[in-house]
Order: sequence, then C-alpha cells, then structure tokens
Amino acid sequence: MKAEDLQEEIIICRCQEVTKAEVQQAIGQGCRSLKGIKNRTEAMMGLCQGRTCRRLIERMLAPYQQQAPVTPSYRPPVRTLSLHTLAEAKEDGEDAC
Amino acid sequence: MHADVVVVGGGVIGNAAAFYCARAGMSVILVEQQDILNGTSSACDTAIHLQSKSPGVHLAMALNSIKKYPVLQKEFDIDIHFKITGTMLAIQREEQLEVMKSFAARQQAAGLNVSLLDTVQTIAKQPAMKGAELVGSTYCDQDATIHPQNLTKAYYFGAMKYGAKYLLHTVIRSFRIEDNCLTGVDTDQGMISCRWVVNAGGVFAPFIGKMMGLDIPIVPRRGQILVTEPVPKLTNTIVNCAKYIAAKFRPDLLGNSVEDQLGIGLSLTQTERGNLLLGGTREFVGYNTKTTRQAMVLIARHGTAIIPALKQINIIRSFAGLRPYTPDSLPIISTVPELKGLVVAAGHEGDGLALSAVTGEMVSEIIAGQPVSSGIDLSQLSLARFSREDIDRFYRKYAVA
Ligand SMILES: Cc1cc2nc3c(=O)[nH]c(=O)nc-3n(C[C@H](O)[C@H](O)[C@H](O)COP(=O)(O)OP(=O)(O)OC[C@H]3O[C@@H](n4cnc5c(N)ncnc54)[C@H](O)[C@@H]3O)c2cc1C
Ligand code: FES
Repeated sequence: MKAEDLQEEIIICRCQEVTKAEVQQAIGQGCRSLKGIKNRTEAMMGLCQGRTCRRLIERMLAPYQQQAPVTPSYRPPVRTLSLHTLAEAKEDGEDAC
Repeated sequence: MHADVVVVGGGVIGNAAAFYCARAGMSVILVEQQDILNGTSSACDTAIHLQSKSPGVHLAMALNSIKKYPVLQKEFDIDIHFKITGTMLAIQREEQLEVMKSFAARQQAAGLNVSLLDTVQTIAKQPAMKGAELVGSTYCDQDATIHPQNLTKAYYFGAMKYGAKYLLHTVIRSFRIEDNCLTGVDTDQGMISCRWVVNAGGVFAPFIGKMMGLDIPIVPRRGQILVTEPVPKLTNTIVNCAKYIAAKFRPDLLGNSVEDQLGIGLSLTQTERGNLLLGGTREFVGYNTKTTRQAMVLIARHGTAIIPALKQINIIRSFAGLRPYTPDSLPIISTVPELKGLVVAAGHEGDGLALSAVTGEMVSEIIAGQPVSSGIDLSQLSLARFSREDIDRFYRKYAVA
C-alpha cells in the first residue's frame, strides 16, 4: 500500500468509523454540505455527535464550497441523559436538557 | 440538456421515481436544490409498516411495496437492511380495546396476519414491556424495518447505473410551458428540455406546483424523535401503541390534553447499530423542524410507561422531520389534465419509505402510458379528488401564522 492510500484509510469519524476516503468519495459524487456528508457516510452521528470529527470534515469540504458553509444546528440534549431523567423532568423547565 | 423525464426532488420518492424510470429505459435528470436526502427522507423512522395502514388503497399499496424490497435488495449495490420484524401495537386502556379490535378485524379481512394478544402473551413476546400497565396488544408478523438513508441511496446509485444524471445544489428558475404542456425546466445550470416533469418535492411540492400555477394541498406535519446510545437488542419488533394509530388517522378523536394536542404516540425501532429510535409527535407547526423540550419530555414519559426497560438508557440526540400531509392522508400520484407532461408524486405523510417502491413503479408506468401493474386505483390518488373547496378548507385549517 502506498503512503497516500494509507492516508486515505485514516479514520476521520472515530465513533462511526468513517474514513477520509469515504468522505472524499461523497464530495466526488457532488456532495457539498455537512448534512449531505452526514447522510451519505453516517459520519457525525455517533456518541460524540460530531464534536470530534465535524471540524475535520468542514475543512475537507471548504475548497468545494462557493458560499460560506451552512452550519447545522445543534439539537438537544447537550449531554447524554437517561430516558428516566427526561421523563421525570418538567415539561417547561430549564433543567435536564 | 435534454431528458425524457426531469424529476424534481432528491428524497426517497424522487429517487425511487428516477430509478424506476431509468430502469425502464427512459433518460432521466434529477434536480435537487441541495444534496440528496435534504428533506424528510433523512429525518424519519425505519418502519415498513403494514399494521399502520388503513385498509383499502393505502394498505394495498403497502402490501405491494413490501414484496418489492427483498427483490430490490438483491439488485441494489448497497445494503438497505430490510428485515421482517413484525409490529406490536400496545393497548394501554380498556376503552382502546374495542377500537383496536375492529381496526384489526378490518385488516385481517384485507389479508393481514394480525392477532390479538393478552397482557401475558404481550410481555412474553416483548420482555422489555415487563411492569407496564397494559390491557394487551395487537401483533402483526409481516411488518419490516429498513435503513432509510440507505434505501434512498440505493435508488440513487441504482438510477445512476441505469444512466440517470443528477443536478445537485441546483436552483430551478422556472418551468417552460407551451400550449398547456410542460416542455422544459430552466435551472441555474442551464435549460433542460424534457417531455415529463415529476414533482417529488415532499412538503415543498406546493411551492413547485405554484411555479406551474397549480395548487397542491400538502402541509408539513412535524414528527419529533429521540435517539438513544447503541444498546444490545432490546426489542425484536417495531412497537407502537393504540394512541399512535388514533393520532395518525383520527386526530379528531383525541382529547384536549397537551399529549393529545401534540399527537404523542409511541414508535420504537432499533437500528442495526443498536440505537433505539423513540417517538414521536404529529404536530402542525408549519415548516419548523426544531425539537422542543415539551415534546421530548412527553415522548420519554409515554415511552417509558409502555416499555419500562427504556428507563436506564441514555439519549444522545433528538431530531424532527416534516411529514407531507394531504387532506385524506393518502399520497398524490397523479397526472393533471390541464397541464400535460406533469406527474405529481408527493404527500406520503408518514409512509414514504413503505410506499416508495410502488410509487416509483407507478410513476414510470404512468409516463410509459401503461396500466399500473400494481392494480392500484389511480383515481383515489389523483389531484382531482380534491375540490377547490377541499383545498381552501384544508389551507384554512392548517395555516400557521
Ligand atoms: C418523524 C418521522 C418518522 C417517519 N417514519 C417513517 C417510517 O417509519 N416509515 C415510512 O415509510 N415513512 C416514515 N416517515 C415518512 C417519510 O419520511 C416521508 O413520507 C418521506 O421521506 C417523503 O419523501 P419525499 O421524497 O416525498 O420528500 P423529501 O424527502 O422531503 O424530499 C423532497 C426533496 O425535494 C427537494 N426540493 C424541494 N423543493 C425543490 C426545488 N424547488 N428544487 C429542487 N429540489 C427541491 C428537497 O430539498 C428534498 O430533498 C416519517 C416521517 C417523519 C417526519
Ligand atoms: S467522531 Fe464522528 S461522531 Fe464522534
């Protein structure tokens, strides 16, 4: 295996085990958005919800984007929480999520 | 550019239409304003559900479609994770029992294997429900689950294999109409002359319709879902509840509680990675795709009441998608007499994955001028089934300020 091939096999999303090559392939197929990369490769959908890999993927997309990238919204919960805790929470309170 | 068929919209329906048309030998260009999977088809659950279809054309389409996935799986290059799992519909209260019995009886008459289970049988089949207050359940062994993004991607790669072209991140400026006939689509990537246009815009189909001077009655019906961390197999089946069925088909029967107004009904599936998808809501809030704290708490409360084993499991994410809802909950798969060359294929509400294969096939057969091989009565899916008054009333009812 050549050094560049090894480079391509680098895991860019650890939680979901998505390689750099898979992200590059999605871009090659015309994907230009983080949401598209997420849907095509399942990167950014793991336990850390993209906290580790999103920046790296944004950097790969940047050269292909004409406009400023659209930042996807963060969804609650900010931290993982158990369904029991959530079920016991107040519907309109500030705690828990 | 020229194509026999221009498909507008890169969700599960547009890609299924592109796949079936290209496979039938037509030249196809699919135009999508963002990337494929930009809309509802990536913000949904995983069910290929029969038990949640009302007997009649709805169930007939689902029955036809579900037979196609195992065959398509062999043809596709990607794994769509089609798996027959069965569905359990939990019944929490005595007063729901009669309604569910008669719903099940009508489904049995339409050819579904639905059986009624008592509490003991229910928990034996679904140990995660131990400790719940239930009066029983109905169970159907024919329902299946699928990987939603992979299903759309499988149609997409399949369509390209048969020569379909994709214009992604492309803006449609206008449609060319000559003598009441659609003859082209003007985009920021150039003009595409064509013989047919398929409007597969999901909840955006009305905007595409407006550009051609047509009123298409579809409004977004939001669904919120919680996603848990991956866990070992918790459920062998899809789980829903009697309330889910009521919220879906008879919102008029629901009460005034907050839960009922949000259309809270249980849906639980488990992905191959082990994540649980726990839902959900049915809300009319326009094009708002946010998740709300209120709904998340109520989904967790309702879900843990029916499936106590969920309590210790953590959620990692929430999401919301917009179901394309029509006045009678049936999709619009239709030509339009006043505008030749148009096929509308939109409005699949909460059933777009389940109905995608039969929809794609029907679109290609309509365009080829063939009778539809599924034998589905197209008049029940026509745009013309809605009168001017129906459409006005619908928009008045669901107009969001
Ligand atoms: C919470 C939830 C759970 C669900 N669970 C299930 C389930 O378990 N099983 C099931 O069968 N169904 C389920 N559904 C329903 C299913 O997701 C939808 O019916 C289906 O995704 C609709 O697909 P579509 O292709 O019509 O629309 P979409 O996926 O929304 O695709 C429409 C596409 O058109 C594009 N578009 C719009 N306007 C334009 C334009 N002017 N030019 C170019 N492109 C345009 C959009 O960008 C979008 O990509 C669920 C839905 C929700 C919200
Ligand atoms: S590293 Fe990609 S989701 Fe965690």
